[in-house]
Amino acid sequence: MATATYPPPPPYYRLYKNYLEDPKSAPEPPPPVEGTYVCFGANYTTDDVLPSLEEQGVRQLYPKGPNVDYKKELRSLNRELQLHILELADVLVQRPSQYARRVEEISLIFKNLHHLLNSLRPHQARATIIHILELQIQRRKQAVEDIKRRREEAQRLLKESLGTLDGQ
Amino acid sequence: MDIISQLQEQVNTIASLAFNTFGTLQRDAPPVRLSPNYPEPPAVPAEDAANFAEQPKLMSAALVKAAKQFDALVAALPLSEGGEEAQLKRIAELQAENDSVGQELQKQLEAAEKELKQVQELFNQAADNCLNLKKPD
Repeated sequence: MATATYPPPPPYYRLYKNYLEDPKSAPEPPPPVEGTYVCFGANYTTDDVLPSLEEQGVRQLYPKGPNVDYKKELRSLNRELQLHILELADVLVQRPSQYARRVEEISLIFKNLHHLLNSLRPHQARATIIHILELQIQRRKQAVEDIKRRREEAQRLLKESLGTLDGQ
Repeated sequence: MDIISQLQEQVNTIASLAFNTFGTLQRDAPPVRLSPNYPEPPAVPAEDAANFAEQPKLMSAALVKAAKQFDALVAALPLSEGGEEAQLKRIAELQAENDSVGQELQKQLEAAEKELKQVQELFNQAADNCLNLKKPD
């Protein structure tokens, strides 16, 4: 692992000297990385999963379970947020020294909101894949139809020209 | 921008409206008498006081509007499919159909290319015959 400030490029280019004559004399490209890897001194992981709220030490306000009703929970979290903002305004007027707990609760609600929205992303990714596949199937069917039509057209023209030549 | 990003932006907007509201009101509030022991605070010019009385109304209206906008965006979420398994099943089905249509396309393409070669061959022969039959002047 190079630790110089401006390291030279890796010297693997020498191995590909005879690549044009013999493609097998050069090494294969390295296989894809699995697990965790280090890049520019930082650790990255190939398995991108959203860490649950408990792992980040944040209390989860919406019910856990296999299928969460996202719309309902988002709306109820929104209402909770508005109520807490009003509570904060009240506390600032009446008992200004107790603001900290209210601010904590508001930030908790925001964290829950963002976590809920982030957990919608895998669903969105799958829906995008479905949409792309449907578009691709439609385009391929269109292409098949076009080719069939053109072939039939060509056959017809050939027969016609055959008839014309024969008639001559 | 896609709907989830819009929702995230809206959450951040609500947050910034909230802390701007509290920050502005705390910074600009005129002094108020806390107890009869303290003297009356110096009065503030009437124009500033009038402007300042408008601020809470405007800011809270903006906050409520942002919250309503968030609800509208939530209502627009296209969460049609019920569950991850249903989506994965649909993806598998679509992949199978895509493969079969792809093979059909491949077959048609090969047949079309073969016919193209034949036509080109015929055209070459016809052109050669034409050249051979044409007598030089």
